[in-house]
Amino acid sequence: MPDIIKQKLWEILDLNTSGPEADWLQSRAAASPMDLMTAFVAAPRFLSKKIIALDKDQKWALNAEISGFSVDGWSLVRLARVWFLTNLDASDKEEYVKNIETLFDTAEMNELVALYAALPVLSYPDQWLFRATDAVRSNMGFVFDAIALHNPYPAKHFSELAWNQLVLKTIFNDKPIHFIEGLEIRANEKLAFTLSDFAHERWAAGRSVPAQVWRLAGKFFNQTLMPDIQHLFDSEKDEDKKAAALACNDSSFPAAQYLLAKYTDLEKAVKSGALTWADLEH
Amino acid sequence: MCLNNNDIATNPSHFEDSEETVAAPAHRDIAWNDYKDLIKGMRFFDPHIHMVSRTTDDYQAMHQAGIVALIEPSFWVGQPRTGLSSFKDYYSSLVGWERFRSSQFGIKHYCTMGLNSREANNEALAEQVMEILPLYIYKEGVVGVGEIGFDDQTPAEEKYYRLQLELAKSAKLPVQIHTPHRDKKKGTERSMAIALEHGIDPSWVIVDHNNEETVKSVLDKGFWAAFTIYPFTKMGNERMVKVVEQYGPERIMVNSAADWGISDPLAIPKTAALMKMRGISDETIRMVTYQNAIDAFGKSGQIDVSDFESGYAIDHTEKFHGNSILRGGQQPSPAKDSLVIQ
Repeated sequence: MPDIIKQKLWEILDLNTSGPEADWLQSRAAASPMDLMTAFVAAPRFLSKKIIALDKDQKWALNAEISGFSVDGWSLVRLARVWFLTNLDASDKEEYVKNIETLFDTAEMNELVALYAALPVLSYPDQWLFRATDAVRSNMGFVFDAIALHNPYPAKHFSELAWNQLVLKTIFNDKPIHFIEGLEIRANEKLAFTLSDFAHERWAAGRSVPAQVWRLAGKFFNQTLMPDIQHLFDSEKDEDKKAAALACNDSSFPAAQYLLAKYTDLEKAVKSGALTWADLEH
Repeated sequence: MCLNNNDIATNPSHFEDSEETVAAPAHRDIAWNDYKDLIKGMRFFDPHIHMVSRTTDDYQAMHQAGIVALIEPSFWVGQPRTGLSSFKDYYSSLVGWERFRSSQFGIKHYCTMGLNSREANNEALAEQVMEILPLYIYKEGVVGVGEIGFDDQTPAEEKYYRLQLELAKSAKLPVQIHTPHRDKKKGTERSMAIALEHGIDPSWVIVDHNNEETVKSVLDKGFWAAFTIYPFTKMGNERMVKVVEQYGPERIMVNSAADWGISDPLAIPKTAALMKMRGISDETIRMVTYQNAIDAFGKSGQIDVSDFESGYAIDHTEKFHGNSILRGGQQPSPAKDSLVIQ
């Protein structure tokens, strides 16, 4: 990983730590790999409980280096841990991978969160694919969130199968999909159809699906999916109707456009831009 | 429910005295509805409970009864471990999955890390465990080295007890001592003498599983005295009330040590209710069921009471993880008495 990331993370750390905290961080980062790894573990014993808040410029500066990567809202400990990892000597690949794997194998929950949040800045990104998909399988909400939300690694490296699993599990766990990085770029037909099946199951059980998930389907509308859209337009929930209109607007399928035209007010709202998916993000 | 000796023997706990005959049940039937008002508004801290063996029903009942935080000591799990990986996964679960599971029920989960005395006798494996222990004792929320000490009182047990006392010293962590069931009095004395020999301040040592016979010496020497309220085989809570009446609240704490044996995760709230019924002051109850445990294990620097003193809610967890988008983090409470499952 280029030193620029290491440096940018340090600038943020420097602004958020006391003198003794910063000294401790620097001294550990320069130590042997084993000491650095111990510092990774012991960080909460030396750093205060604090949440990192970035201003616009800082956010932009990080995003410019790695698109979609942000540390905003992280705890100071998590940021320090990720920074430690950027200081781990990566010149010997075998050694480096072994060290990171050891940290994964012995990690408690917050350490796992830091490790997964660090995936976009680790060297040898392909090495962590299995770990990353394993985090999607995790039952620990925080661990799942660390890979699924606000993390650019999956969009960049996951296969379609793994990606779809991540998105579906996010929906299944009632978490907001708009926090998934790369959602639009990685949208695919298979996901749209699986989503439809999932919605049918929920509807059969008398449960609902968050309205914004239909943003994943619009581009892939065909005859099979049209009844779902009609179902949404017929829903008692205002948000379902809005989602139906927005999804139709995303679609180039003539029947969808035709259906949308039947709902004049909604059509006007989406065409004018008064109603967007952002209105359904929560 | 009627329990005979055979029932107990098929399910021995990690510290049950198999030679001891089972006396009449020490617990009386007091329904939750009968005692919940007595302990209304009280908060409890269980400094010894093995949640890996407990169900979600237990977690919900504990939360409902006012338990806001607990310590899960590492111990043996009934089935002897045959390799390092089982130890590693067990230790990881104490700081990982079990901690998360607990948080879902609004209970802050801490743990102590150590090689238990029974498995210290498997020396080949014990050596390997000692190598990886340092990776775990520095972890967040690890409030001590424990539970360690004697079981059969073998030379191997003594060796690893001593090594772990040194580990606790270098990591500046309290020590949680498991005292043996057979030859308890001598074993307790020996555990304390060795801790003192290693230069450990007794105010950093919690001596567990005390009874009327051991408590005086433990307190006189300046150690913390923990009492395990465990049905049939150990302390009953009526005896516990008498101990508190006699010795007062200083350096005394109550725990459940609930595990896979016949044990009671509500031992602390029940004991508090009984103390209240017997006229023990609220402040004394608070000391022995909450504050003393925090003072003793808080020496680790790992207990921040603001994490749980006003309830350990999901809001807090969100903030702690620096993440405001977490949803569905806390388990809903199903209506237990309802026939219909939704």
